[in-house]
Amino acid sequence: MSTGWLIGSAVIAVIVAPLIGGLLRGIDRKLTAHMQGRIGPPIIQPFYDVIKLFGKKPMVAGGAQLAFAYAYLALIITSVVFFALRQDLMVVLFILFFGSLCLPIGALSVKSPYSQFGGHRELLQFLAYEPILLLAAIPIALKAGGFPIANIFEYGQPLLPHLWITFIALLIALAIVMRKSPFDISSSEHAHQELVRGVVTEYSGPYLALIELGHWYEMVLLLSILGLFWVTGSLWWLSIIIALGSWFIMLIVDNINARLTWSWMLKFAWGAGVTLVALNILFINLGWM
Amino acid sequence: MSILVGLAILFPIIAGLVCLPIKNQKARGGIVCLTAAVLIINSILFLRQGPFPIPPAPTWDSVILVFNYVILAIFLFVAIRDIAQRGISRHNILTIVLTLAAGIPLAIFEFSWAPHTPLEVTPALYIDHLSIIMCLTISIIGSLICVYAIRYMKDHEEHRMHLGELKETTQPRFFFFMLMFLGAMNGLVFANNLLWLGFFWEMTTLACWGLISHDRTPIAITNAFRAFWMCLIGSVGFSLAIMLLWNGSSDSISLMQVINNGASAGPLFLLPFALLCLAGFTKAAQLPFQSWLLGAMVAPTPVSALLHSSTMVNAGVYLVLRIAPGFQGTHLSTLIAIYGGAVFLATAILAISQSEAKKVLAYSTIGNLGLIILCAGINTPLAIAVGIMLLIFHAISKGLLFLCAGAIEHHIWSRNIEDMEGIARNLPLLTGITIAGMLSMLVAPFGVLIAKWGAMEAASSIGVWSTLVLVLLMLGSGATTVFWAKWIGRFLCHSPVPGSSKMEPFIPLYHGILLMLITFAVAFSILIAPIYNSIVAPALTEAGYNAALAFTTGAWFLKSPMGIFAAWPIFIIITLALLIPALTTRAKPEASRSSYMCGENVEIGVDEFVAVADERTELKTGGFYIENVLGEGNLNRFVVPVGIVLLVILFIVAMI
Repeated sequence: MSTGWLIGSAVIAVIVAPLIGGLLRGIDRKLTAHMQGRIGPPIIQPFYDVIKLFGKKPMVAGGAQLAFAYAYLALIITSVVFFALRQDLMVVLFILFFGSLCLPIGALSVKSPYSQFGGHRELLQFLAYEPILLLAAIPIALKAGGFPIANIFEYGQPLLPHLWITFIALLIALAIVMRKSPFDISSSEHAHQELVRGVVTEYSGPYLALIELGHWYEMVLLLSILGLFWVTGSLWWLSIIIALGSWFIMLIVDNINARLTWSWMLKFAWGAGVTLVALNILFINLGWM
Repeated sequence: MSILVGLAILFPIIAGLVCLPIKNQKARGGIVCLTAAVLIINSILFLRQGPFPIPPAPTWDSVILVFNYVILAIFLFVAIRDIAQRGISRHNILTIVLTLAAGIPLAIFEFSWAPHTPLEVTPALYIDHLSIIMCLTISIIGSLICVYAIRYMKDHEEHRMHLGELKETTQPRFFFFMLMFLGAMNGLVFANNLLWLGFFWEMTTLACWGLISHDRTPIAITNAFRAFWMCLIGSVGFSLAIMLLWNGSSDSISLMQVINNGASAGPLFLLPFALLCLAGFTKAAQLPFQSWLLGAMVAPTPVSALLHSSTMVNAGVYLVLRIAPGFQGTHLSTLIAIYGGAVFLATAILAISQSEAKKVLAYSTIGNLGLIILCAGINTPLAIAVGIMLLIFHAISKGLLFLCAGAIEHHIWSRNIEDMEGIARNLPLLTGITIAGMLSMLVAPFGVLIAKWGAMEAASSIGVWSTLVLVLLMLGSGATTVFWAKWIGRFLCHSPVPGSSKMEPFIPLYHGILLMLITFAVAFSILIAPIYNSIVAPALTEAGYNAALAFTTGAWFLKSPMGIFAAWPIFIIITLALLIPALTTRAKPEASRSSYMCGENVEIGVDEFVAVADERTELKTGGFYIENVLGEGNLNRFVVPVGIVLLVILFIVAMI
């Protein structure tokens, strides 16, 4: 893969990712509405929302709040760029985590009862999904012979047959990152479900728009990581099916579950998610997979 | 060339003795600054000089022989004096028992088993890049902490005199122990004769006791004795290891020889290594010995900074890293990795429930040392390289954070994180440096994270047991993030400042030193590739590892056998991503709003809301600590037994 091609794909990723992300959010709202017996907004409603938010008057309720909203978006875009450049998967995750961390820290930097709650709960979400994502990089690297994403493309075989256990664990992590029920502890992904929206309570107008954009990037990045499980060979297009399929599963799970407690989430994520990946690593080390 | 060693070890000890009779603050400060300058320049000259051989030094062998028993006698003396003053307690009795248990075997060995007394080895000193790295850490960071202490102790004593707890200055004794500590540590890392190593080892224990008990409060004295006897457990292990090494496999008490014989030696060769590791674990306050380091926080903050960053605990991990080549490829090594991982996870979770600033820092230290021990246990070239790098970066960041905690304490007179709510408003510079320091422990592209990345990649390549090590590592890493992030959140939690915020007064000995350390943390992270090439890679080669299997570097990246860390691009992009918004986003004053309180706000800029019967009520927020689940009382019931069980298994494995 030539450098020029890689840089080009990074530029395209930065432009296209929010378009896909916004569209997925729109379809999500439409499908969810149908499942609940409503008609729902137009599919491109999320874009209208964000454009409108950017036009609103800025309001600030805390010291460092704004810097963290920008940093959240900027760092997540950075991780998308590193993903597109096919860099080390672990490094992509670390940059993503730094970005994700800006959201709770921004929430915590406002002296607000609701935002404080949301921020602390978002940290618990983080505690639940971070180990799963980091650990999931290990079996991928063991199979592909290294952590750089380029290795996965060069590996020549699809990863899913060897790593389906890890894939299931990643679905759990994805649900927590996307704040889908039953893991919507810090705030629900759907804004209309609650009056005071946890971690983003104190963000409004253009700053809320930045966070929404960041969330689109984050979602597309995670779905792309799931797509890595089948990127090679003649059936490479399965990666898109896998990513979209995972997203659709999230949607169903979201609609048939209610929010549960943080302690349950933590137990489930560490108990089921981490254990699954650990088993996968063990099986690979024993030569069974 | 020997003068470099002499200056590194003897100069601070002598300077400390000179401090003892000096009552004048300025003169004492001058001596401390002079020592700091000498040590720093000396260590840099050392680096330029590189490793060199040192001939045997019979005179010093005798001197150390005598002083070793003098120190043990001092141990007994202070413990007996404590019995006389405060009555018998668990701590002083254990001190006496363990001093005898460490001293008697040593005496039997030196005077009856050894073919001649004093026993000398060639070369007398072990000077390679690892010890030079240690010397740099001790001399530079340790000295800066001592300089900071000049101002800190002045404020500290004024505060205590104000409260009526103190009548007369005790600073001469304080600086004597601080400076002696630096000398003893330099001696420890250069020693090749295990008897010398043991002597300096005891000297650091003594200095640690002197510094923890400095304030002379009952709790300080109790905690000092706890530190004393826990470290003495390690000393007992040390004495037994020396005897076993002489009679068993090695016929030598030269550290170099012992490590080289390592894997090839006969049966029971692992036991002395396990005993030496035990000594390292006690010094590094690993489970179940963590309570001494947590107790040590009663001491003035520069002491904590010194213990946690450049001295004491580093001696423990230094020893484990140093002897790691000796047990490479054994089951003992794997167990050490698991043990280190368990410590890392347990302390990271325990830290979430702590609201005392220094306690959070202490748990974080123990966890990071666990991580270094994990690396020593993984024992591949990559892992050892990561261990050494982690040691350097941790020393810088942790020294910085303790000094920040001390400076904050002297502004708000509290160590509680809840009292630090919103101090970013009044102390913007100090909080800014502290947050930068915390981020340097936590996120890309700083050195600690690069090391963590390396540790994860190294841990993935050790076969079946890697699964367990990796799970411990990843879970611990998640918990670490939580306690740092919520602390950062407390600093920043305040309503918008009307008008432009004012900078606090710049105190050179506080802010200056802090700025220097944060500059180190950033510069070392940027220069990670050249630093690796110039000091870490040679240290690996000298220890017998194939440095080509650790990292390979280019102009802008660091490459492990498994992956690649594009250090410079990441640094540039992240800096831009953070600095541009941080410097350019300034909300207009008219954009300020009160936070959402269901419409019951009193007015903009006032943290109050209208409660029942239209009464104005103050808005209060707080951090969460989940103490009922993750509190010490709850978790220590599991954590301490797990630590003991792991150590027992470790010894069983070492014996079979």
